[in-house]
Amino acid sequence: MTATVKGETRSAPAPDGPAAASRWSPRAGLLLLLRGRTAIVLVLLIVVFHTLSPHYLSDSNLLLMTKHVSINAILAIGVTFVILTGGIDLSVGSIAGLAGMICGGLLYEGLRLPGDTVYFSAVMVILIGILAGTGVGALNGLLITRLRVAPFIATLGMLYVARGFASLRSDGGTFPDLAGRPARGNTGFSIIGVNTWLGLPVAVWIMVVVAAAAILVTTRTPFGRRVYAVGGNERAAVLAGIRTGRIKTATYMISGACAALAGLLLTSELGAAYPDTATTYELNAIAAAVLGGTSLFGGRGTIAGTVMGAFVIGFLSDGLVLVGVSAFWQLVVKGSVIVLAVVMEQAQQRVQARMAAH
Amino acid sequence: MTSSSASPRRALGALAAATLLTLAGCGTSGEQPAASGASSAAPAAAAKLIVIITPSPDNVFFKAEQDAAAAQAKKLGYETLVLSHDDDPTKQSQEIDTAISRKAAAIILDNAGADASVAAIQKAKDAGIPSFLIDREINKAGVAAAQIVSNNAQGAALGGQEFARLMGNKGKYAELTGKPTDTNAGVRSQGYHSILDQYGDMKMVAQQAANWDQATALSITQTILQAHPDLKGIIAGNDTMALGAYAALKAAKKTDVIVVGFDGSPDVVDSITGGGVKATVLQPAAKISEMAVDQADKFIKTKSTGLPEKQSIDCTLVNKDNAADVTNFAIKS
Repeated sequence: MTATVKGETRSAPAPDGPAAASRWSPRAGLLLLLRGRTAIVLVLLIVVFHTLSPHYLSDSNLLLMTKHVSINAILAIGVTFVILTGGIDLSVGSIAGLAGMICGGLLYEGLRLPGDTVYFSAVMVILIGILAGTGVGALNGLLITRLRVAPFIATLGMLYVARGFASLRSDGGTFPDLAGRPARGNTGFSIIGVNTWLGLPVAVWIMVVVAAAAILVTTRTPFGRRVYAVGGNERAAVLAGIRTGRIKTATYMISGACAALAGLLLTSELGAAYPDTATTYELNAIAAAVLGGTSLFGGRGTIAGTVMGAFVIGFLSDGLVLVGVSAFWQLVVKGSVIVLAVVMEQAQQRVQARMAAH
Repeated sequence: MTSSSASPRRALGALAAATLLTLAGCGTSGEQPAASGASSAAPAAAAKLIVIITPSPDNVFFKAEQDAAAAQAKKLGYETLVLSHDDDPTKQSQEIDTAISRKAAAIILDNAGADASVAAIQKAKDAGIPSFLIDREINKAGVAAAQIVSNNAQGAALGGQEFARLMGNKGKYAELTGKPTDTNAGVRSQGYHSILDQYGDMKMVAQQAANWDQATALSITQTILQAHPDLKGIIAGNDTMALGAYAALKAAKKTDVIVVGFDGSPDVVDSITGGGVKATVLQPAAKISEMAVDQADKFIKTKSTGLPEKQSIDCTLVNKDNAADVTNFAIKS
């Protein structure tokens, strides 16, 4: 038994870190290219769209595209934690929608208690929204770790349930005005989605903070190492004394919190909350993670890669709109890029394995 | 309506409960999901059943349609079953199976596709259940007992005329179109262009599908503004997209750009009153639903509606002059 475990720990994960190619060879060069594939694709996209439209590289368009990216990047960062443990979270789009509806309702009509209506400040509303998302994530985690429901199924179920509750919150309607009233002391919700700070949209700053925190957590904390360990080889992790259930539940909570935050940014920018907010966004988030080199089998991937993946998807989608490509071709191009990225990832694995064999 | 005013905390508690219940295979929680999927009346022994099937009531337009049809049917003494097909023809077919197995007296249907729905409606007809189509047509005659639709082409022409007038018959504009697979998206776009293309000084600089979605329209409008900062107007295929476009303009401090929508939804009517979106085209959703139920009632009693199958109801322009008269997809005349 011990022998098997040793054998398995050997294959335990190392983050896709800067394992430098010490000796230069054509193969090492190829590996370097493959490692940097997401960045290369991004540069290619920028070059192509820049030649197609003079507006693509303008300051204001770069800012706008980065702002559009921030929503998906935040969703994708949360999802990356889950995928690193070998799980999947299909419910993030619905959680974003639910959080948006909860906050929209609190701002628009307040919390109706018997005989009184309570209004919370915008900051409180945002905290409640994120807390709600974290709670739904915790529920995902408990379903998966305690009730042994497969992550795909548990979060697929939550995709429907959370979307259903988002609709129930308003009986299907839209909360059309989230500006708040000074008399109720709940103005300011628009700051996170609309305002800028030091020349950058607040949403972009939030993405930067979330990404920096996530990079720190994954690379510099015991929790981060355990996340990789659980995804790399769960049995080995259990035998190493890691409480895998807690780690997994925590990643679903992180994912839920990120999803809620993204939902609030969307809702804030739109100035309205509707139950369909962020429908199918989970697919964009998972695509960003995979594009950035996160393996769906767990244990391999980086937050920086995911953010880069989100930039590729966002810069691609906005570029296609800017140049005026038809909606149908947009789908074809986006899908092809995602699959191509995974093909390149597989190529990288093969080259890496061959080099390790030498 | 306990569900609609539930507090977040209760909602979360219920969420936990409902999740467990759903996963255990029984989906009923204590609260009454009024929106869709549930029988909205207790089974009465004698009452005949009218099944009402529409796209998702997440869109207030379809919600208004459902509510008006259900209210009228109850008024006439029918039991109702309100379902949503979410624009999925397969789900629609299954729901029509449900109607057949429940021996419904009639189906009121806002269908999930002009061609994809024909077989399902034929299936109901073969089982002896007449279908009364509202809002969207199908591409075959003689299958449904009636097809009562608002005149999208006429409505779009009205919207196009108002848009041109507001723009002063000149300037650059962008168009946001609906889901490209939806017939109405094409009909409305053609209706707009039947007017706008007559003005040589009006130039469409961008045309993008925003899939009827508010957030998509916001994002696309922002991108279009990048390429065309001198944009003077945006004409949208429905109201949710108009609201999304207006949110983008507001954020870019370009509220002088003219926005025109289509549907006459309460949120846009409010926006028109407040000087945001400039105009929309009201589809008489409530009236059409009531007409369909009335005709179903007549058909059940006399085996004929006495009217032609295809009936087209004209739309009305809504701008700041008459916005005050519009409530929930109906206009005071």
